[in-house]
Amino acid sequence: MVEQDILKKILFLRDLPDPLIEKIGAIATLETFEKNSVVFHQHQDLTHLYMVVSGKVHFTIKSASGKALVLDKIDEGRTFGVSALMEESSSAYTAICVEDTTVVSIPGKKMHQLFVEDFKLGHILMLKVVRLFKKRMEMHTRQFLLSLSTHSEIKSLH
Amino acid sequence: MVKIEDLKRINLLKKIPEHLLGIIAKEAQLSIFGTGTQLITVNEKIDNFCMLVMGQVAIKRNITPDIDVILEYIQSGNSFGTSAMIEGTTAFYSAVCQEPCEIITVSGERMIQLFEENHELGYYIMMDVSKRYKRFMDHRATMILKTLSDDLDMKEDIYETWIMSMSDNKA
Repeated sequence: MVEQDILKKILFLRDLPDPLIEKIGAIATLETFEKNSVVFHQHQDLTHLYMVVSGKVHFTIKSASGKALVLDKIDEGRTFGVSALMEESSSAYTAICVEDTTVVSIPGKKMHQLFVEDFKLGHILMLKVVRLFKKRMEMHTRQFLLSLSTHSEIKSLH
Repeated sequence: MVKIEDLKRINLLKKIPEHLLGIIAKEAQLSIFGTGTQLITVNEKIDNFCMLVMGQVAIKRNITPDIDVILEYIQSGNSFGTSAMIEGTTAFYSAVCQEPCEIITVSGERMIQLFEENHELGYYIMMDVSKRYKRFMDHRATMILKTLSDDLDMKEDIYETWIMSMSDNKA
């Protein structure tokens, strides 16, 4: 169980009424990862979503040659692993702690069960997921377009 | 109004229970658009959520004033303009008909109202929209990797490169 005052610092849960926060707190636990620990690997099935209470997490993806690229940097108050709310979802990236990091950890299946029992909670939180994903998708698209615009073959067109 | 059977052909709605499809069917309408019609313009508010019954729509964004990148071709059964159902957002891309298109449209504002009246509908639609965004996100990550891997000048930290680029653009 995680106390409400900790959960209220998480952006994803901001503005939720206390009774809903309480329901989420009841199925959540606090976990601490040491620096350089991997929370989950690229292509791993996601079972939990995570909310950073303190510390920092990087999302990295690996190329065929083994080189890692940092896609995003997640710090205090932010949420990741949200795909755990969806059935049969695997991670597109590796989440690695670059500092000692404490997270709120919530089993995706239990959260999903809460949503089905309380569609209002499900609607509010899935709308937040959609906003979060839209923002990240747009960021990844900008990153892709930037990588494309600096690609040697595109440069040669100028 | 459109038939529930028509909505069942739309991939995004395939897992939506029939009683909820009935609510959407009452609000939806079928329209025909000619080749070259710009349905969505980048950075502008999107009015309608669109479900393609027939035809092809290109989703694009420019990287320079002269170069447009087609991010995706929408084929029949697929949908676009999901941002219309998210209050306060604007389009990240443009959408243009590549051929004559039959499209089921539903007002984004009306859908938002319906979600407030029926949270079950809101939950199921948002769940399916988030799955769709997740697929796009994963696809973009693969595209970034492929583009950078193809290039000898591979960046180790695309996030920093991107942040720096955004700062440069602002400056």
